[in-house]
Parts: sequence; C-alpha cells; structure tokens
Amino acid sequence: MSDTMRSLIFSAVLCLVCSLLLTAAATGLKGYQQENVELDRRRNLLKSVNLVAAGGDYSAEDIRRLYDANIAEIAVDRSGRVVPAGEDTGVSLPVYLYQTGDAIQAYIIPINTRGLWGKIKGYMALESDGATIAGFTVYQHSETPGLGGEIEQRWFQENFVGKKIVGRYGDFVSVSVAKGVADTAVPEEKQMNYVDGISGATLTGRFLTAGLKDILETYEPISVQFRGQRMLRMPQAAEKKTQP
Amino acid sequence: MAGSSTKAMKTLSDPLVENNPISIQMLGICSALAVTVQLKTALVMGISLTLVVAFSSLIISSMRTIIPRNIRIIVELTVIASLVILADELIRAFLFDISKQLSVFVGLIITNCIVMGRAETFALNNPPHLAFLDGLGNGLGYGAVLLSVAFIRELLGAGKLFGIQVVPEAVYAAGYENMGFMLLAPAAFIIIGFMVWIQKSLRQ
Amino acid sequence: MENIISIFLNSVFVGNILLAYFLGMCSFVAVSGNLRTATGLGFAVVFVLAITAPVNWLVYTYLLAPGALAWAGMPGIDLSFLKFITFIAVIAAMVQIVEMVIDRFSQGLYNALGVFLPLIAVNCAILGTSLFMVEREYNFWESTVFGIGSGTGWAMAIISMAAIRSKLRYADPPEGLRGYGLTMIVTGLMAMGFMMFSGIIL
Repeated sequence: MSDTMRSLIFSAVLCLVCSLLLTAAATGLKGYQQENVELDRRRNLLKSVNLVAAGGDYSAEDIRRLYDANIAEIAVDRSGRVVPAGEDTGVSLPVYLYQTGDAIQAYIIPINTRGLWGKIKGYMALESDGATIAGFTVYQHSETPGLGGEIEQRWFQENFVGKKIVGRYGDFVSVSVAKGVADTAVPEEKQMNYVDGISGATLTGRFLTAGLKDILETYEPISVQFRGQRMLRMPQAAEKKTQP
Repeated sequence: MAGSSTKAMKTLSDPLVENNPISIQMLGICSALAVTVQLKTALVMGISLTLVVAFSSLIISSMRTIIPRNIRIIVELTVIASLVILADELIRAFLFDISKQLSVFVGLIITNCIVMGRAETFALNNPPHLAFLDGLGNGLGYGAVLLSVAFIRELLGAGKLFGIQVVPEAVYAAGYENMGFMLLAPAAFIIIGFMVWIQKSLRQ
Repeated sequence: MENIISIFLNSVFVGNILLAYFLGMCSFVAVSGNLRTATGLGFAVVFVLAITAPVNWLVYTYLLAPGALAWAGMPGIDLSFLKFITFIAVIAAMVQIVEMVIDRFSQGLYNALGVFLPLIAVNCAILGTSLFMVEREYNFWESTVFGIGSGTGWAMAIISMAAIRSKLRYADPPEGLRGYGLTMIVTGLMAMGFMMFSGIIL
C-alpha cells in the first residue's frame, strides 16, 4: 500500500471517528446548554425587577416558578398596539410584564445594543408610570474586563434605579451615562436622567447611552400608554404562552 | 518493576517544578494570563488543560506506530481539537456561569503550546502510560502556576478567594483599598516575571 | 464607516490582542530577541490575519452557524460546535500558503523565520481573532478590519519589544531575571502604556 494511500485511509478513519464522537456529544448536550442559556436569561429578567437578588443562589426550579408566577410575555408593534398572541404582523417587539394579581407593577424591555467590543444584552425594567426606571441588568457583553466590563457590576446597574427617562417637562430624553460622577458632571435639573460613568470606559458609556436611547425610543409608544395610565391591567387577549 | 515506576514518578513530577511548562519551558503563557483574574476560572482552566494534554498525549502515543509521518501535525491537531471541543461542550452544559467568563479561552487550549509541544516531543516517542503521566505532570505544573498567579490577583485585587470575601470589613474601614491594578492585564505579566525570577534564582 | 474606524483603532491600541488579551505570547517571547526577525514575523501575522478573519467569517456564516445551511435547504442544522476544528484547518492552510509565498519572494526572511513560520498556525492570536469575531457578532467588513487591526497591534507589540530588548542587551540585570523574566515585566509595563489609549475620545 503506497504512502499516500495509507495517509488517506488513516485520515478518513480519523475524521469519521472524531465526527461521530463530537456530533454525539454536541447533540446530547445541546438540551442542557440551551436550558442554561434560557435560565440565565430569565434570571436576569427577574433580577431587573428585584424578584431575585444579585448573587443569590437559586435552583432551576426556583427560577421557573418565579418566572411563571410573575412574568407575562406580550408583543407590541411599532405603534404601541398590543399584538394578540398568534397574530403575525411582522415586526413585533417583546415586552415582559411584571404583574401581581391583575395589576401591572412594571414592564421590562430587552436591551440588545452594540457595545465597544460586541453586543451588550440586558433588561431594563420601567415602572408602571412609564417614566421611572425600576431596574437594569446586563447579562452579556464583550467589554474590557475592569473597564467597560464594569457595566455588569451591581453598583453600576443599581445607579439606574429611580432615574427617569423623561425630562423636566415630560418629554422623552432617555437615560444617559455621564462622563464622571453625575452629581458633579451634569447640571442639577438633568441629574435624574444621568448615571455615573465608569472611569476609563468613556466609549463603552457612549455606546450604551446611544443604544439605550435607540431602544427606549422604539418602545416609546408603549411607554406613553403607561404614562397616560392606559395600561394598568393585563390585556386579556394578548397573553402569550411563555415557553417552557 | 522498580526501575519503570521511578521513571514514571519522575515523568510525573518533573514538570511540576523542575521543568515547569510556564516558568521554565516558556510555553502556554497566553491563556495563563487572561484567566487568572479569579481562582475559580483559573481552576477550571487548569483542570481542562490537564485533561486535554493528558488524554491527547495518551491517544497520540497509542497511535504513534501507525500515524503516517507526512500528516503527523494535522493528526495531532485533529485529536487535540476534538478533545477541546468535547471539553468546551461539557463546560457549557454543566458549568454555565464559568463558561461565560472563560469565553474563548477554552477553545484556545488547542493552540496552547504545551499540548502541541508535549505531543510532538514526548508522546510520539514514548509508551502510552508514560505519555499520559507526562501530560498529567505538565498540566498540573501549568495549573499550579495559574493558581498561584490567580491567588495573588484575586486576593490583592478583590480581597476575595474563590469568590469568598477574605479581607475583613474592619481592614477596609481603616482605609485599605483593593489594588484595582491587579485585575488588569499588566499585573499578570509582572507577577509572572517575578515568579520566573524567583524560581530561576532558587535553582542556582 | 465610523464603526469600522473605531474597531480598527480599538483592536490596535486599547484592545491590543497581545497586550490586553494575552494572545500570541509564545512566539512573542521567542522571536522578539531580534529586530529583523520580529518585523518579518509581525508582517507575516498581519497578512495571515487579514486573510483568515474574513475567510473564517464566510465559513462560519455560510456553513457552521445555526441556520447557516439554509441556502442548501437545511435550515435546522447547527454545526457551530465544529468551529474550532474548521477555523484551525483554514488557518493551517493559509499559513502554508504564506510560507510558500515568503519562500518564493524572500529567501533571507524565510531562513531567518525558520521554524516560527509554521508556528504561526498555532499562534493563539490567529485563532483567538477568529473566535472573538464570532463572539462579537461582527459582519464581514468588521471582521476584515478587526483581523487587520489585531495583526497590526500584534506586530506593533513585537517590534517594540524587539527594539526594547536590543537596548536591554547593554543592561546588567540579575541572573535569574535575564531573558524571560525581564521580557515579562517589560511587557507588563508596555501593556500599562497601551491602556492609556482608552482615554482617547475619537
């Protein structure tokens, strides 16, 4: 048997063995991996409305239970109209409602913006007045550890609580990351729309500010409804079945 | 039997200090620096690499008589890459939080010079049981350096070990502050530089 | 456009693939002793990265990513678990080509680089760039620019280090610190220097 022939046969057998092994592993473990991702996403959603504490220890069962009991998922279209489940209108924006009983406590918007190095994904929860931020979490980013990566720290996220996305006259201004400490860097009447920046991470702050503005603007129609007190109850027809 | 068991012991213990892959052989530094911000990630990385290098050396050594010479590097890469993919899939399935922090560095075990280096220089010329021990020894030596660097960085940079607060509140209240520099890239380089210096000086 | 420029500048300075992400250290330590070899290797790395980043993007987007095989009528297949092996295969092939090109055009450089040329294939920086590109979900042009930027950053680091080491040849460090230990500490100082770029507002 010639050398080339031997090499070819050897490679073919090796490839076959490796592919079988890896495909078996990948397909077998896929279920676990997807469940992990979904659980992580839900945990972060719950964290944004303080249903789970940061750093707390929760089992998969706990997360599932808390989520099913408190969160309802609906979709709205660009004009803020709630899209009933099953209707296909093309562009639909997901909104998560945190409700106790029949009253809506807060609505949660998924954040997916461009950061300095990659996507920043998280959730922003707004109170039912449509103007005050109830919570903000970041669960995925590729920012520089120690600099832009600080956006995943509790201190940064907690600074958002209580800030407003509307200005003094009720106009939409979104929430921005200041350069430095908000108390000193920003005039007093605007401080409610700014959070402290991260030293050494100006660019990350800028990207986050721009991204949040974009997303909150897209969701303005529904925020306006909350401000006008028109969305205090869970819309019956719109409830989407949450995926297991 | 005594002869081969001391040889086995030597194969295992040599790379732990005397011939440490990172400080003496100068291999495998890349990932050593990035994952040492915390002890937890350093530990998982160390264990992953140890398992990959031990088993890849074992497999390659078992096949050493039938691997065709002209595709030898590619065969080694294939074996190593497959083991790393396996490790990555397992970590993402069962250690999800850590996998987020390790991000691409588990995949980079493939290019880790230690794994390739041991396969080329040892596994191809030695019987499987010795190759396994050699891989194990090198992996453990690597892990030891990783843990030492991570110990310093996490303790001084965050006051914690394995995520548990170790520096007491009272010390912070007295004005002590965490050395933020330890969490950044340059600190890792400098720490390793000093470790190498100390180790080489002690060898004299 | 602004996006492309910022990715390039960031991958060269603030997020320098060697000084901030520690990738490509092995050949960095070994080759930075000689300025000419370091320059040659630096250029080779830029070239390899400029090609492998977009090629790997194409391979990932049209073959491996979840749903990538929709054009072949198989949208449900997810082969992303094969990305390590495929990327390395593409990289190894590219390095082989670069080796042949250098051999053809510059015998001197080919001899000087010696064994380090094939070692580019297992340079963590090359694989790392492709993996980061996937993780950060860049598009085609962003990936290309990111590849060129990473290569440029790595080349800058190794050339600077070679220059510094040639100066250090006249210094008199303690025995245990000589060579490797000193290189590490100098790299740390360089990394600190590069961190200052994060304050630049573009």
